[in-house]
Amino acid sequence: MIGRRHFLTRVIPTTFWTSFIMRSLSRNAEAKTVENESYKTLTTTEAETLGAWCAIIVSGAGQAGVARFVDENLAGDQAASLLLLRYLDASDMAGFYRNGISGIEKECQHRFGLSFARANADQRLELVEAAIASKMQVWTNPNPNFFYFISRSDAVDVVYGTQAGFADLNIPYLAHIPPPRPW
Amino acid sequence: MSQISHDKVEVVIIGSGIAGSTMAAELGEAAFNVLVLEAGPERKLSDMISSQIWSRRLRWAGPEVLETGDLVGAANFAMGWGTGGAGLHWYANWYRLHPDDFRVRSLFGRSLDWPIGYDDLRPWYDHAQSYFGVSGNDDSNAPSGEAYPMPATSMSKQSSAIKPGFDAEGLELTTNTLAINSAPYAGRAGCLLDGWCDAGCPIGALTNPLVLQWPRARKAGVELRHNAYVARIETDPSGSKATGVLYLDEQGRENLQPADIVISACHTIWNARLLLLSTSDKHPDGLGNGSKTLGRYFTSHALTTIHGLFSQETEPHLGVSGANTLCLDGYEDKQPAKGAFGSRAWLVGQAAKPNDLLGTALAKPELYGEALDDYLRNASRHYGNMTVLCEEDSIPENRITLDPSKRDRYGLPQAHVINSLPHANATRSKLAKEEGLRIFKAAGTTDAWAGPRNPMHMMGGTIMGDDASASVTNSFGQVHEVDNLFVAGASLFPTPGAVNPTATLAALVFRTADYIRTHRSEWLP
Repeated sequence: MIGRRHFLTRVIPTTFWTSFIMRSLSRNAEAKTVENESYKTLTTTEAETLGAWCAIIVSGAGQAGVARFVDENLAGDQAASLLLLRYLDASDMAGFYRNGISGIEKECQHRFGLSFARANADQRLELVEAAIASKMQVWTNPNPNFFYFISRSDAVDVVYGTQAGFADLNIPYLAHIPPPRPW
Repeated sequence: MSQISHDKVEVVIIGSGIAGSTMAAELGEAAFNVLVLEAGPERKLSDMISSQIWSRRLRWAGPEVLETGDLVGAANFAMGWGTGGAGLHWYANWYRLHPDDFRVRSLFGRSLDWPIGYDDLRPWYDHAQSYFGVSGNDDSNAPSGEAYPMPATSMSKQSSAIKPGFDAEGLELTTNTLAINSAPYAGRAGCLLDGWCDAGCPIGALTNPLVLQWPRARKAGVELRHNAYVARIETDPSGSKATGVLYLDEQGRENLQPADIVISACHTIWNARLLLLSTSDKHPDGLGNGSKTLGRYFTSHALTTIHGLFSQETEPHLGVSGANTLCLDGYEDKQPAKGAFGSRAWLVGQAAKPNDLLGTALAKPELYGEALDDYLRNASRHYGNMTVLCEEDSIPENRITLDPSKRDRYGLPQAHVINSLPHANATRSKLAKEEGLRIFKAAGTTDAWAGPRNPMHMMGGTIMGDDASASVTNSFGQVHEVDNLFVAGASLFPTPGAVNPTATLAALVFRTADYIRTHRSEWLP
């Protein structure tokens, strides 16, 4: 059976990524400063892991506030949620993220004996590639490939899906009603 | 907790989307006393924010649906929540089913027949396209009908880049037919082609219930009550007459709304679910389920999107979310190869923004980091796409049921949709994917690839038919066992064809409204 979580990725050669270097610059002029503020649903550690994970997938996602984006929307009413996850599985969105973040940590500990925060760039890349290839060793729930898909979408939202993100891609925004804030 | 009782109305309609609002406007203008119950909140045009992020608030936020099978996963994306339902974020692709789509069983010995044919529905298609405001040009591959009230929108750069591929394949690519104003129409503005359709169109160029049906309905005195989640339809002791509906309000209180006529006009899953929930000693398996077909013959369209990068600039952010151009050439060939079955239609040149499910970033989900950034910078200028819809056979195994082991937020059994694509349809879908890749390669793409097969649109579950032992309603959506209970929406479709369902849904609503109008004395005291 192929369910809603089986969307998405194709396996690609690992060698393709060997020259990958993380870029830490923020291209998003609307990026939010999120340090030193408490989170509403996630713990600070969970939020930092999610932000670091997303920053591997989309450069600048951490500075753009992806962890805050997820956290604030998990804390609010589901009907007002701005998360793409609501399309695909809204049954327990907070649990989905918590379990996914826990999966990142477990897999990182299993492979490298480190927390994700202490893992180096190559180790983080290895985990992302394992999620894409559905080759996690101990992380099973939620489906790592689906978690990658959702967290990647969150990162794309805050970096490329805002008015500033469009401008950075040279796409005219052309709003009928502009968003009141990026997210 | 005590039950709140309301004054009786002549007609209560469940759901305020395209089916419900159109029915409400029609019956209100025919001087019926009409009340519409909407499960979600009130929506205004100001809620239609041009953002893929913010527009998610227009989507379904009701109880979760459990989905299993190999062609599921679109429910929350497809459905709406609040005034206008999915009509606030639909894509406005406007097509008629073809004559053979109504007679699949007779012609091919599979799937089902409709109790009506194309000629029965043709005048209602004609009426609906004038009512909604449809733009389009004559297409020799489309069923015959009156000319559209507006000419088609012009061909986009995306479509122009893709068209040589269709030419090479010997297929005719035509302008699309859309319920979008190519010019000002009926007091509504012409389209600016800014590609924000699925975030809602606050200028009303893409017609939606907030600008079309609800102004008419309100003027006719129709009442709309929000945050009213209908939990069951009540019947009299004989079980042959609906007496009203029971709904839960925002505080969770039970409200009894009596009515002479009850019309369930919800999205497909919820029409079937509501009838299944409305059990009684006379209807132990749900209303309209004497045939045991309630919930069965659920269908979808098997969708595959072909993506490509072109050397020329395509302006992919511009246009309409639905499609700029269309290929119905070959639609009539339901048996294109041995072992393959079903029609197919190509929807070409859909406006694409960077993010969300149909955005350019998710067209290549395996890319991340620098590779994703490089791709997006290229795609934002050179991306093109087209989507094929393929027919799914109507089979009883694909169905909507209740799962008594799981309760929703209202304490009611959760809806469960089971849908798997029959083998012959999957073979047909694979042929279409190969055709699409050939077209994109012939068009000169620098890179072309196909996305995964996904579902689009939901139909069936309360199918119409002449035989009460094998269907839920007659051709007017009138439930076989309960004369004053009607169903409106795509759940009535015995077969799905391979085109977007809203034009057919609307034509059926107008036909049913006319039937209720002309038989008024049968139900009203």
